[in-house]
Amino acid sequence: MGDSQYSFSLTTFSPSGKLVQIEHALMAVGSGQTSLGIKAANGVVIATEKKLPSILVDETSVRKIQLLTEDIGVVYSGMGPDSRVLVRKSRKQAQQYFRLYKEKIPVTQLVRETATVMQEFTQSGGVRPFGVSLLVAGYDDVDGPQLYQVDPSGSYFSWKASAMGKNVSNAKTFLEKRYTDDMELEDAIHTAILTLKEGYLNSSFLLINVRFDESLFEHNR
Amino acid sequence: MSITFSNNIEALIFISLFLTIVPWAEKIFEYNGSAIVAMVGKNCFAIASDRRLGVQLQTVATDFQRIYKIHDKLYIGLAGLATDAQTLHQRLVFRHNLYQLREERNMKPETFASLVSAVLYEKRFGPYFCQPVIAGLGEKDEPFICTMDSIGAKELAKDFVVGGTASESLYGACESMYKPNMEPEELFETISQALLASVDRDCLSGWGGHVIVVTPTEVTERKLKGRMD
Amino acid sequence: MSKATVELPPKGGFNFDLCRRNDMLTKNGVHAPSFLKTGTTIVGLVFQDGVVLGADTRATEGPIVADKNCEKIHYMAPNIYCCGAGTAADTENVTDMISSQLLLHRYATGRESRVVTALTLLKTHLFGYQGHVSAALVLGGVDITGPHLHTIYPHGSTDTLPFATMGSGSLAAMAIFESKYREGLTFNLVYCAFVEIPQRDEGVKLVTEAICSGIFNDLGSGSNVDVCVITKGKVEYLRNHQKPNPRTYISSKGFSFLKGQTEVLSTKVTLLEKPQQEEGVDKMEE
Repeated sequence: MGDSQYSFSLTTFSPSGKLVQIEHALMAVGSGQTSLGIKAANGVVIATEKKLPSILVDETSVRKIQLLTEDIGVVYSGMGPDSRVLVRKSRKQAQQYFRLYKEKIPVTQLVRETATVMQEFTQSGGVRPFGVSLLVAGYDDVDGPQLYQVDPSGSYFSWKASAMGKNVSNAKTFLEKRYTDDMELEDAIHTAILTLKEGYLNSSFLLINVRFDESLFEHNR
Repeated sequence: MSITFSNNIEALIFISLFLTIVPWAEKIFEYNGSAIVAMVGKNCFAIASDRRLGVQLQTVATDFQRIYKIHDKLYIGLAGLATDAQTLHQRLVFRHNLYQLREERNMKPETFASLVSAVLYEKRFGPYFCQPVIAGLGEKDEPFICTMDSIGAKELAKDFVVGGTASESLYGACESMYKPNMEPEELFETISQALLASVDRDCLSGWGGHVIVVTPTEVTERKLKGRMD
Repeated sequence: MSKATVELPPKGGFNFDLCRRNDMLTKNGVHAPSFLKTGTTIVGLVFQDGVVLGADTRATEGPIVADKNCEKIHYMAPNIYCCGAGTAADTENVTDMISSQLLLHRYATGRESRVVTALTLLKTHLFGYQGHVSAALVLGGVDITGPHLHTIYPHGSTDTLPFATMGSGSLAAMAIFESKYREGLTFNLVYCAFVEIPQRDEGVKLVTEAICSGIFNDLGSGSNVDVCVITKGKVEYLRNHQKPNPRTYISSKGFSFLKGQTEVLSTKVTLLEKPQQEEGVDKMEE
């Protein structure tokens, strides 16, 4: 396998210096369902549209927002199956960190580790980039509440509020209008729901899943 | 430091040389001899060690460093086989440096203790012959002390911890001399007296002492005069 | 020249680099040091709607008491705890490791951990190391299928029992259980119906008595009694539930040394800078 002529990386630079596979991956994200996150003064919220392919699907079996550790949650836009791989790896990474230091992994560290995995999949042989972007929301004693977006290329940013997936520009414009630095968690949740509604007033089906756990962010900064 | 090993192989040759000459060696901890103690005071801590490096009953150096600085408010003393202590120290510094670069902060003493424990337990079936004594000030300047065995079983204490060939005498001395909430000056006198009294009852450690007292604002290092026999 | 290898943080698993050297040292008559042991009395019993675990708090290193108040009841999952006897590092690491695996399993399944899951993970690990990881455990918890109590031996064999003891004080503790444990504690429903949960208090009392028997009759066990009561949806960790061996004297003044009496050869004072608060810059990376 290793020496097969097809085992080189599929992500090869185009003459114009672009990695088209990554751009295609971003397209997959862009056509995925909308997710957004808002960092508030005393917590952080992530939300996503939960549109099911058919009303016959049992919606209790669909979990788009998941926990990586008890203080860190994640939501994706793009390909669901790809996100599961990242969630599994990130959870394991968080546990490895805890086993070594007996201390909860800071959000930054977990995000970096996750981003590293995503980067490796843009440069390794025999694999393709992940078709997802992640919004990682979490709290730690070092930096308080935080919100990160990780893209298929492995790049990551810290945001006050962000959105991704379908209708991203509308959602972002809306968030830019509504966001304030002193926003409380309750306002943030309200804004999150409003933003999702805004983009989808015309759509036929709307379900919103809000990540909110009071006990999680009880240590206000 | 009078003897430095550039790597483990040289150290190994060094040891095997002596082993062939003096074949009656008993316990590996008694090969070089050591005494380390750490005590908690009021918003401060002290860590102290002896200064002898020996090869069994032969004294090789009298200015040996057993306490290492990890950062301004975190120290580790490594009792036991000197070659392993030095190798282990290098690995710990390496791991701490990586952590500092990655996380842009110093390690908390508790975190460092867990790291040392993990590094030691990794070698569960072929351990470093070292007993670490860790002392540090936490983020809110609360003192932390801890020791562990050579495979990383942590032992946390609120008052004092000891290690090395003189540990039995140190237990006795500290058990009677220690009292809670000592100010830095008194802590220094107490830990010094406990150390000196203990090493005088141990052939394998001694030759003065090295005491470090750390408060939130300053570090005081003192070299003690002791018996030279 | 020695091979320059880049040392990376371990990904887990043991490292056997020093084994050959240590064997050589042993062959030359140098003995390896003894490890920290928990001489230990650990016990557990099942009652009507839960499990009570108990442990003493002495850690020994040979004949020396290394820790007078250590913790031997380890957390496994929110509904499962585990008492450990044997080499302290082994019990600590084995329980931590399995606890970690149980958490990942809970995330993956979205269900509460079962005691048998913990049991199987522990015994397969221990069996894999053929007794070299010397951990003797008493595992207890309450899950969807009710209360469970198991003992696990260092070689990986297990027992399922209504009451169990382990460690050097196991005989002393078992003597108490054998004479005083009664079926009613578990099965007397009629009795329970009239009195409000007497079994819990009765269970705690019996466990405490068994641990005390270990503390006073076994030299490897000592100091205080730790108890952990697990019932459906509730855990009471009673750290130092009983302290039968307090220090009987406390000198009011203690030792006082005159300042400046210790002979000092040299002094070096380093002032520590106040750590500057970094400006809150959002961390970014592209």
